[in-house]
Amino acid sequence: MLDGIRILDLSEEPGFLTGKILGDLGADVVKLEPPGGDRFGRRGPYLGEIADPERSLRWLALNTSKRGITLALGTPRGRELFGRLAARADVVLETAAPGALEALGLGWEVLRAERPRLIWCSLTPFGRTGPWAGFRAHDLVLVAMGGNAALTGDPDRAPVRCTLPTSYYAAGPDAAAGIAMALYARERSGRGQLVDVSMQECQLATLVTAPGSYSLSPQLRSRTGARLGGTREIWRAKDGDVTFGLRGGAARIPSLIATVAWMAEEGMAPAWLRELDWKAYNHNLLSAEEIARLESAFSAFFATKTRRELFEQALARRIMLAPCNDAREIVEQPQLRSRGLFTTLEYPELGARIEHPDFFAKSSRGRIGIRRRAPRVGEHNAEIYGELGIDADALRELASQGVI
Amino acid sequence: MGEPSRLFTGLKILELGAGAAGPVATRYFADQGATVVRVESAVRPDFLRLLHFRPGDPHGLNGGPMFVLMNPNKLSVSVNLSKPEGIEVALRLVRWADVVSENFSPRAMAKWGLSYERLREIKPDLIMVSSCLFGQTGPQRMYPGFGGQGSAIAGFNHLAGWPDREAIGPAGTITDSLSPRYVALLIAAALFQRERTGEGQFIDVSQIETGVYSLSEAIVRASARGEVMTRRGNHAEDAAPHAIYPCAGPDRWIAIAVFSDEEWRALCAALPAPALASDPRFASLAGRLAHEDALDAALAALTRAHEPYALMTRLQAAGVEAGVVQNCADLLQDPQLAHRGHFVRLRHRHLGDMSFEHYGIRFSESPRRLETPGPDLGEHNLQVLGSVGYGEDEIRALTQAGVLA
Repeated sequence: MLDGIRILDLSEEPGFLTGKILGDLGADVVKLEPPGGDRFGRRGPYLGEIADPERSLRWLALNTSKRGITLALGTPRGRELFGRLAARADVVLETAAPGALEALGLGWEVLRAERPRLIWCSLTPFGRTGPWAGFRAHDLVLVAMGGNAALTGDPDRAPVRCTLPTSYYAAGPDAAAGIAMALYARERSGRGQLVDVSMQECQLATLVTAPGSYSLSPQLRSRTGARLGGTREIWRAKDGDVTFGLRGGAARIPSLIATVAWMAEEGMAPAWLRELDWKAYNHNLLSAEEIARLESAFSAFFATKTRRELFEQALARRIMLAPCNDAREIVEQPQLRSRGLFTTLEYPELGARIEHPDFFAKSSRGRIGIRRRAPRVGEHNAEIYGELGIDADALRELASQGVI
Repeated sequence: MGEPSRLFTGLKILELGAGAAGPVATRYFADQGATVVRVESAVRPDFLRLLHFRPGDPHGLNGGPMFVLMNPNKLSVSVNLSKPEGIEVALRLVRWADVVSENFSPRAMAKWGLSYERLREIKPDLIMVSSCLFGQTGPQRMYPGFGGQGSAIAGFNHLAGWPDREAIGPAGTITDSLSPRYVALLIAAALFQRERTGEGQFIDVSQIETGVYSLSEAIVRASARGEVMTRRGNHAEDAAPHAIYPCAGPDRWIAIAVFSDEEWRALCAALPAPALASDPRFASLAGRLAHEDALDAALAALTRAHEPYALMTRLQAAGVEAGVVQNCADLLQDPQLAHRGHFVRLRHRHLGDMSFEHYGIRFSESPRRLETPGPDLGEHNLQVLGSVGYGEDEIRALTQAGVLA
């Protein structure tokens, strides 16, 4: 979809997903790392437990469909080369602290003068300006400041995050969307622009309007663990957890009726439950006793079944219940496999084949998805610098000077 | 002065569907000048219009705060798609639109005769995006779930929470907020492609797959080293301390993340915590990871005395990553969000003043807008149907016949 668009990608880990998405969509993404590679982005765990930046699984997972070059932006020659690379790019994507690139003379304001069609996407923790723009943050601080942590976790413990960085997964596609929107606008206006993305702000959408609801009716919600809106949402099956809700209005009622019918077939639906008037059911009006009674009946039933048994019947009986899958269960999930979600990439120099999620959407115009595996450190230096007329001898000299 | 030029001024989007996953995606365009028309019906209302409904609610379908907050800048037409005349209205609107975005279950659009194959016959360069939990194809595509089920199937629940407790997942049914970002991206990319080629396309998005794609690291680690990642509270494999610590006040907390020994020394100096600074167990990252529970307890004993914002400011000034665990009241007063203009107060005719939200993206050449709250059902029947050629008499007759309902 983005064929012919060159993205010069300076981003560190928070921006890996953005570049990957754009590359999977067909853009020519050139990933720029410091000489020797992005130390932090290429950290462990490693393939084969060998601590080698070429074996970083985080790097391999999130940098597909990119080519890779190295460049030391801190050197005068590096800055000159960056200007020439940017002149050939449609988009620059960066995650530098506000002002850091400007201090090197490489900011958006400098380059836009020479290249008015350039789109510049700046992905930062709090945005490029403002009282807290200088604050540093990785995922944990972002989910705290963005409002999600306050609502995630058990009431008797500290707020909690996801083990993988969900704040990057929220901001990553937003930044990619911002770039695609600016590309569309440029087709019509002929002009590029700055796309300033705040990762904190992107987090707020995970609250699905909770701040706005608070502005209307100021009652602070807190963490409710396995419950949501007063009723249980996560339940223990025989071998792990499932989601199932008593809330959700009319759309959820057929699912509740189907669950009770199944329980009745197995002799596990008490008489009061079989006789419940679902036409009058409104989860907003349940008393604490009614909620406790419903929950104890469903809990007792779910505890007798495995997650697989529950999900099979959920599919057959149209029950809104789902297993809390781990990675191994996800790659075996029949629906996901039937759509060809997973693809195996070859890493011959590492002697490995690794399964990756491929793209999540299908277009009538043809395949969208992973174009190539993640680049090795400086793998495409010759190709990319060759475009600038830099030959093999000159490249060797640049390498010896620590520029690439 | 006319309307400021925005990214999508003149663009027309027709939206069918309900809940969060579809409607959140089209707002990116509405906020940037596009005309977004929701086709909905009292016969089968968006469940968000009813989520907090209680019998006797004076505003009926028009008083659901979540719906109102999620659908600003949009127009609403009420069309009963179970009537043939309703389908005629929908087809007239498709002819008008550049983009159709829908998030019904897979068979719904085809059942009404509104499949992409049908629609492209009357609008050859149409861009149509369908987004549902599992996508349009496959044996389990008709599975009826909400975002909570999507998040669990995609793997987010298993990865969030405490190892000895339930797989709770991040708050907010994460695929409901994640998939719209990707739908917006794909609509924008398809519009870009249409500018270059003159052609439209159909895009089938699986909301669950957007989650699995985002969690690529977990899948790659499972495939490459047989690792099944799981929830581990706030701890990280490459940073310590890396947790959320209590502060002074009810339910007040601060997140602190220390990746390097230099940051550790800065934290000890800023708190101050001389006893921790000189404790040999904590001198290196490996030592801090090995003694993480003792480290967390020692730090919590110190942070407990501090007001969270003052502590955050002090630690950030010392070069340590720290952030207050902000609740909804905090967010509404957050000076950084205020600087970004994140919240905009608008008055809703039934509910009163409310804070609406912008997305996290700012475009230097195109100001965003937030002008009208989520519409009443059918609020714009006259305006929208008038603009596609229906006369007032026709609109009145369609209303009386229960087609515009």
